[in-house]
Amino acid sequence: MAPDGTVWDTARFVRAYLALLSAGFRRQATYRLALVSGLLTNLFFGLVRTALFYALYRERPEAAVGGLDLADALTYVWMVQAMFGLVWASWIWEFPEAVRSGDFVVELTRPGDPWLRQLAYELGRTFNQMLLRSTVPLLGAAALLPLALPTTPAGVLLVAVSMVLASVVAFEVRFLFGTVAFWSSDYRAVFNIGFPVLWLLSGFVIPIDYFPAALRALAEGSPLYAMLMAPVHVAVGQSVPASLARQVAWVVALGVASRVTLSLACRRLVVHGG
Amino acid sequence: MASAVRPGAGLPAGPGPRPGPAGRVARARAGAAVYRRLAAATLRGRVRHPAGFVLRTLGTGLVVVTEIVGVVLVVEGFGSLAGWTAPEVVLLVGLGAAGQGLGLLFGDRLEPAFFSEVVRKGSFDQVLTRPTSPLGWMVASYVEVRFLGRVAVGAGAVVWAADRAGVDWTLPRLLVAVMAVVCCGALVFAISVLGGALTFYTVEGSEVVNIFTYGGVSLSCYPMEIYGPGLRAVFLWVVPFALAVYVPALVLLGRAGPPGLPAALAWVTPAATALFAGLAAAGWRAGIRHYVGAGS
Repeated sequence: MAPDGTVWDTARFVRAYLALLSAGFRRQATYRLALVSGLLTNLFFGLVRTALFYALYRERPEAAVGGLDLADALTYVWMVQAMFGLVWASWIWEFPEAVRSGDFVVELTRPGDPWLRQLAYELGRTFNQMLLRSTVPLLGAAALLPLALPTTPAGVLLVAVSMVLASVVAFEVRFLFGTVAFWSSDYRAVFNIGFPVLWLLSGFVIPIDYFPAALRALAEGSPLYAMLMAPVHVAVGQSVPASLARQVAWVVALGVASRVTLSLACRRLVVHGG
Repeated sequence: MASAVRPGAGLPAGPGPRPGPAGRVARARAGAAVYRRLAAATLRGRVRHPAGFVLRTLGTGLVVVTEIVGVVLVVEGFGSLAGWTAPEVVLLVGLGAAGQGLGLLFGDRLEPAFFSEVVRKGSFDQVLTRPTSPLGWMVASYVEVRFLGRVAVGAGAVVWAADRAGVDWTLPRLLVAVMAVVCCGALVFAISVLGGALTFYTVEGSEVVNIFTYGGVSLSCYPMEIYGPGLRAVFLWVVPFALAVYVPALVLLGRAGPPGLPAALAWVTPAATALFAGLAAAGWRAGIRHYVGAGS
């Protein structure tokens, strides 16, 4: 029973978080200019990387470098564009900023669980991003280029599931990064130094399949794998069950880690004010 | 009888006869001193938290390091990229990164994400009342020193790649490399200025400018041979990043470019950059005229 005397049965519980999810979805729908410029940016970077991989595979036409052939590499390029807005969400600074300014303390007074509420709200925003910013680049590229996307309904469904799991992992990574603000008000400096490592290891620079064996093992063993390369591998049909299993494992592990970090952070949270 | 002393006669300001050449030099000197002071004050503020400052500076360079690692792994894995070896491609990355660092050093805060706040809250009103050029004030007060990290890593990459690619450093080649970095920096800065000017119209920030500030440079990281005629034409003759990065690299490496894109185009680079900068300046002036302020 919640402090205010309401009984929190399962149906109520689910309804509350679904309401937050749809609020997040509707909020993100208001950023139309951001959506258009995001799509144009995705299109531009996708074109540049497409030209790059065409040129590379022209040198070695029949080779599958690092286990990827041209179609796999092009699929990687457009999956990266489809995933970009889901992982590096435009609202990444909102949580650490709320912690720094002290606004976050309001979250601790609301009913329910602060972590689950934030997850529901950010997933709502992510689903809105997915609706156009993920599908337009991917389907457009699939119509014009020889991509290696699955053609069966089950295959397509698995890609969608993998992208949702990746969005949850990305939320958890962003959340963990945001908790830095509980310890240091200069969280942006910490992000600036950590970002390049995340950028490379997660596979945003080049597919981790091209890494030397040791670096590849490190990238595959890290939670960052679940954030980008797992959906790419599911899309091109490489080790699909293993990729999905890793994603589920990291969703749970990072979920536990972020909840533990949050409870530690709340114990040392000092709120200024009158 | 007319009074001997008119009120305000001793003040140099105000619309009156244009100052002579000597006066203009003195004015420019005084102006430069103001901007130096503003920039120095910004720098002092930034280094108040040394740990954060060092992390940010390292961070801007580290991004370039990851890009270089990516380029080397891919190009070595495939053998070559359109006939270019890995060090030759890294030379492009280095020139582009150093130039981008230089441009963002002065232009980062004109990007719509930040500048839209200044426009929306009406703080730009105050900038307009100051006895300096609005653009000069914006630039000098928001010098982002952390981008020196990117300049340093870019320059280091150029030195490393030139050594691996067997570039013979003569004075003319050194001048071409410096010209490349300066022109690329000027282009990035000019695009930031255009982004700022655009914000006077859109008010809301938009990341579309990033296509050119970040995208233009990342497109220049690879040899132009890999692009189709459309992209090539845009980045050669509209936003001339190819003239600022790729063409000078041809000169340094002693390579012949593809048909229609010879190394001799390097002579055009400064003029094309100046032309683009002139367009950006005109855009900025138009933007300011459109600015209506905010609030009461």
